[in-house]
Amino acid sequence: MEKKKIDEDGSGPSSPKPVDRFGFIKPESSNSPDNLKRSKSSGSEREKRRVQKWRKMIGVGGSDWKHYVRRKPLVVKRRIRKGIPDCLRGLVWQLISGSRDLLLMNPGVYEQLVIYETSASELDIIRDISRTFPSHVFFQQRHGPGQRSLYNVLKAYSVYDRDVGYVQGMGFIAGLLLLYMSEEDAFWLLVALLKGAVHAPMEGLYLSGLPLVQQYLFQFDLLVKEYLPKLGEHFSQEVINPSMYASQWFITVFSYSFPFHLALRIWDVFLYEGVKVVFRVGLALLKSCHDDLVKLPFEKLIHALRNFPEEVMDPDTLLPLAYSIKISKPLEELKLEYEKVHGKEGQSIIARGKQKQVLERNGSSSRNSKRAEKQKGESIKSPETILLKKVSLRRHFSHRKAEHDKLDGPVAQPVQELKRRDSQLMSRHATS
Amino acid sequence: MATIGHNNLNAKLVLLGDMGAGKSSVVLRFVKGQFLEFQESTIGAAFFSQTLAVNDATVKFEIWDTAGQERYHSLAPMYYRGAAAAIIVYDITTQESFSRAKKWVQELQKQGNPNMVMALAGNKADLEEKRVVLAEEARTYAEENGLFFMETSAKTAKNVNEIFYEIAKKLPRAQAPQNPAGMVLVDRQGDAARASSCCS
Repeated sequence: MEKKKIDEDGSGPSSPKPVDRFGFIKPESSNSPDNLKRSKSSGSEREKRRVQKWRKMIGVGGSDWKHYVRRKPLVVKRRIRKGIPDCLRGLVWQLISGSRDLLLMNPGVYEQLVIYETSASELDIIRDISRTFPSHVFFQQRHGPGQRSLYNVLKAYSVYDRDVGYVQGMGFIAGLLLLYMSEEDAFWLLVALLKGAVHAPMEGLYLSGLPLVQQYLFQFDLLVKEYLPKLGEHFSQEVINPSMYASQWFITVFSYSFPFHLALRIWDVFLYEGVKVVFRVGLALLKSCHDDLVKLPFEKLIHALRNFPEEVMDPDTLLPLAYSIKISKPLEELKLEYEKVHGKEGQSIIARGKQKQVLERNGSSSRNSKRAEKQKGESIKSPETILLKKVSLRRHFSHRKAEHDKLDGPVAQPVQELKRRDSQLMSRHATS
Repeated sequence: MATIGHNNLNAKLVLLGDMGAGKSSVVLRFVKGQFLEFQESTIGAAFFSQTLAVNDATVKFEIWDTAGQERYHSLAPMYYRGAAAAIIVYDITTQESFSRAKKWVQELQKQGNPNMVMALAGNKADLEEKRVVLAEEARTYAEENGLFFMETSAKTAKNVNEIFYEIAKKLPRAQAPQNPAGMVLVDRQGDAARASSCCS
C-alpha cells in the first residue's frame, strides 16, 4: 500500500524501494532485525490470542480500559512491558497517556490552532519537516500527507504553548505518534506529555536553556558512576559526558536514530510508567556493552555509544535488563541534589513554579491518583488543568487572526501556501 | 585542541551555525564524500573524524557537529571550549543564518580559545538563483573579524575539502622538533582545557 504511494507521486524513485514492516526504506542488503523477528515469532496463533486479550482489556473504543486498569494495574503493567500489539498501539497510547481525555474535553481546539493561528516557529518547522524521518515512506514525499500532518501538529503545538514553541527533536516524537494516530490525536498526546497529564511534564526538555535535559544528564551521569563505576571512571578519563551521547535519548525518547521496533517498545512503557524507563534503557545499553566500552579510547567510544550492536538492541533482552535496574530512589535523590545546586537560578524552577500555581488553583485531581501519590515531588496536571489553556487561547484568537491576515510578502508566502493546504486537509479530516 | 606527535596533529574542530545551514552536510561531504538531499536534523551533537595530509604532516580532525537551533545554545560551549578550530556555517539563501553566524563569531571571540582558527562558510553556493547574502559582504565581515571565508556547497562538494585544508594549514604547530618552544606550551594549555571541560 505504501509502495503504491511512491509510484503515484512523480517525484518518488522510479522503482519502489523495499520497506520494512514500519514503512522505513530498507538500506541496501539489509538484514534488519525484522527478518529475524518474523521467522522467530511464527507463532501467529499466540499473537492472535494476545490481541484478543488486549481487545478484551480495552473494550469497544476503550470503554473498559479505565475499569480494567483500576482493577488489575499489575496485569496491565506486565502486558505493556511485553509490548502492545501493533494494531492496537495507537489507541492504547492515547488511553494510557491521558490524551484521549484531553481530546474529548477540547473539541475544535486543534482545528482552530491549525487554521487560524500563526506561529513564530513556522519557518523553523518548515526547515525541519523534510529532515524528520527522511527514510520513512510516509514522511518522504515532499508536501505529502505525512509532511503536512507533521507540520500541522508541530505548528499547532508551537501556538498552543508559545513558551516552548517548536524545538528540534519534537518532530521525531510527533512523527512517531503520527504513524499510529491522526494528527489531532497526536497533537493531544504531545500536549499530554509536555504538560504532564499523567506523569511529570516534559516541557522542561524544550524550554529555553533546556533545563530538564540538563537535569536528566546530571542524573544520568551520576547513575552511571554509581551502577557502572568502572565505566564511569573510564568515561571521566576519556572526557566523555552523557551530553555527548545521551541528550537525544531524553530529548526524543529514543525516537531519533534508534531502531524503530525498539523505540516503539520503549514508548509503550514510557507512556505508562514515565521517564524512568529512559534512564533504565540507557543504563541497560551501557551495561550490555560494558566490557567492550571500558577498553575503548575516546573516538571509538563515542562511535560505540552512537552505534550499539544489533543484538544488544533486541527489545526482548534489553528491556528485561532495563527493568532489573532499580533506580526510583536514587533518581529522586539526584533530582533533589541537582535542584540544590542549580535550582535557585535555573529556568526549571520558573517552569515548575508556574505549574505549581496552576496546580494549586485547580487541585491535583489526577486521573490516576494512586500513581500521583507515588510520584510525590513531581508536579502532575490533570486534563482539567490543561483544559484551562483553552480559555486564554480563545481570547486571543480574534486578535491573532487579524495579524495573520496582514501577513504578506515573500516570507509569508510559503507559510500561507502550507496554510491553504492545511485547511484543505482539515476540512477533509472534519468530514471523515 | 591541537596536539602534536611527530608530524601528526590532532585538532578538535566544531561546526556552528543556524539550523538547516548545512553543517551536517558539510561534515558528511568531507568525511564520507556523500550528500543527502534530506539530511536528518541533528539532535544534540554528533562526532566525526577525518585525517588530512598537509605538506609533510597529517592533521586529524576530531569534529563536533552541533544542533543549530537557538534553543540548543546552552549545549554548545562544551563543544567549542578547547576547540582548535571552528567552521561557522551560514546558508547564502537566508539573511537570518548570516546574522546567526555573526553571533557565533562574537561568542567565540569572547568565550572561545584565543588561538582558535575560525572559518566562515557560506554554504549552499550551488543555489545562486536564491542567493541573498553577497559573497563580498561576507568576505568583508570575515576580514574585519580575523576569519577566513569561503563559499561552499556540500551538494556539489565545492570548497568543502578546501576549507578543511585551509584550516589544517593555519593551525598553530611546532616549527621543528628541535625548537619546541612557544606553540607546544599553548597546546599543553589546550589539553588542560579539554580535560577540565568534563565537569561542566
